[in-house]
Amino acid sequence: MVTKSEEDQLNRLEAQVDNAGGGAWEYLCLVRKLKVRRPDKVLKHGLAILNDSKKRSALGTEEWTLCEQVAVAAMDCQSLDVAKDCIKVLRKRFPDSKRVGKLEGMLLEAKGLWAEAEKAYSSFLEDNPFDQVIHKRRVALAKAQGNITTAIECLNKYLDTFMADHDAWRELAEIYISLQMYKQAAFCYEELILSQPTNPLHHLAYADVLYTIGGLENLQAAKKYYASTINLTGGKNRRALFGVCLCTSAIGQLSKGRNKEDKDSPELQLLAVAALEKDYKQRAPGKLPLLTSALKSLRVSS
Amino acid sequence: MDKFRDCGDIKKDLRYLYTVQFWVFLVSRNANRGERKSRERERGAMAEDLVLDTAIRDWVLIPLSVVMVLIGVLRYFVSKLMRSAQIPDAKLVKEGQVIVRARNLRAAANFIPPKSFRARRLYYSNEENGLLYVPKGQAPNAQAQMFSDPNMAMDMMKKNLSMIIPQTLTFAWVNFFFSGFVAAKIPFPLTQRFRAMLQNGIDLSTVDVSYVSSRSWYFLNLFGLRGLFSIILGEENATDDTQRMMQMTGFGFDPTKSLGAEKDGLDIVQHDWTMPKFERRAEAVLRKLVR
Repeated sequence: MVTKSEEDQLNRLEAQVDNAGGGAWEYLCLVRKLKVRRPDKVLKHGLAILNDSKKRSALGTEEWTLCEQVAVAAMDCQSLDVAKDCIKVLRKRFPDSKRVGKLEGMLLEAKGLWAEAEKAYSSFLEDNPFDQVIHKRRVALAKAQGNITTAIECLNKYLDTFMADHDAWRELAEIYISLQMYKQAAFCYEELILSQPTNPLHHLAYADVLYTIGGLENLQAAKKYYASTINLTGGKNRRALFGVCLCTSAIGQLSKGRNKEDKDSPELQLLAVAALEKDYKQRAPGKLPLLTSALKSLRVSS
Repeated sequence: MDKFRDCGDIKKDLRYLYTVQFWVFLVSRNANRGERKSRERERGAMAEDLVLDTAIRDWVLIPLSVVMVLIGVLRYFVSKLMRSAQIPDAKLVKEGQVIVRARNLRAAANFIPPKSFRARRLYYSNEENGLLYVPKGQAPNAQAQMFSDPNMAMDMMKKNLSMIIPQTLTFAWVNFFFSGFVAAKIPFPLTQRFRAMLQNGIDLSTVDVSYVSSRSWYFLNLFGLRGLFSIILGEENATDDTQRMMQMTGFGFDPTKSLGAEKDGLDIVQHDWTMPKFERRAEAVLRKLVR
């Protein structure tokens, strides 16, 4: 997850580099550290450094990490010849490296040669069945081919062994959501919450899934998780505020016929509405009437 | 004075005797000159304040530390070269990950709904195929397996050797060259029992126990340079002798015992869903925001 300050720093460096202000190497290092995906910028500036022999020798051993980064960015931008050159250089320098092998597999994937890529990855896995990176590449391969069920299978098998890898759980949750298998997605998000309980994004996503599944119990749980997201982000997350309003009105609709055991006071909804209005007034006053009418319709039904 | 009995050479004996006498003379001469000595005499205390020659610091303490640092660095690089690619055992990897996951469950149990928590707990501690359940028969096997597996035994041997040999050599070197004189003074007082340990080469029984020989400086460095190495060499370095020594005693029990421990821990946990509390807290947060 990229924090706001890091994002600001990244944008600042990006603007600086774009206007030929130098600092390209720091920008590339920051991109690599934050694992952000900016292939076009990385390709442009990385190639500029690599082609300039003076700057290249100034890097020393970091040159090869840069080469790898540029190769991946090139594959993202579909400039496959650039990628091939970089990989050739790396292969000459590190003839027996698994990391270069992974890059070659990625190049086969980028070219669309799925069978060869699959063969390459399987051979790597035979050598070392515990290479996490290669496992993940296989899942990506299946996903790129559109074979989502195979992707789910591979990912489940991977998680059977490496069950503490929260990135994998996140990927699985997103795949399940895309297939509308919400209960399984809820399970994955629970795993994420367990491993990182203070990350508000997981609470938010879990609340979304619970709200989508529906049913009174799930709606009440969803409301609680939206509340916890508000708690963890200090009330700044607008999606959570909207979520609270929607949940309360949905709960109200469902329990209209029964006795209202109002443990949850309606204050939360009112407060969320007030916070939203204040926020919109500050940032997008033009949209305020839209907001008020939408919220009014919600309040009427509750 | 064992050395007197061993060496038959009279000249060597005399030389040794003169060295000891010279040091004692030097020490006592400086001590006599020192002002504190007179004050001590007035007070009639037994502890004499020895003023040690600065040459000791220059030629004993600092070179010894430098040599130990260099040997540590050398060992680090040698161990890096010698380390064979470890192919992790399937069962061990899975068990390690299971432990992490179970620990996360225990730590953050209050964040997920009670039904899911109960489902997970059952999944872990189920009698038949729960993840954490270890049938009694398998438990003692781990240690036997550790010693019968030739690869692992070789690995252990290599690691132990790389630790034992430099230690032995350095210790012998220190003993041979730097014995027979006072090297340093410990700033706090000690009892007489420590005399045998700390004042090994010094054969005078009246010297205060705070004055130690270079052997204790060697041991101090051995345990103390660990922090320095973690700064110079980064976290994972082979010079972590003390950790390795602690690990050696507890080897072989790790996976199965910790699984059982996790299972017990999980059974104890009482689930107390924190979400309702969060609702109230969220209200408070929003109230503050809106105001």
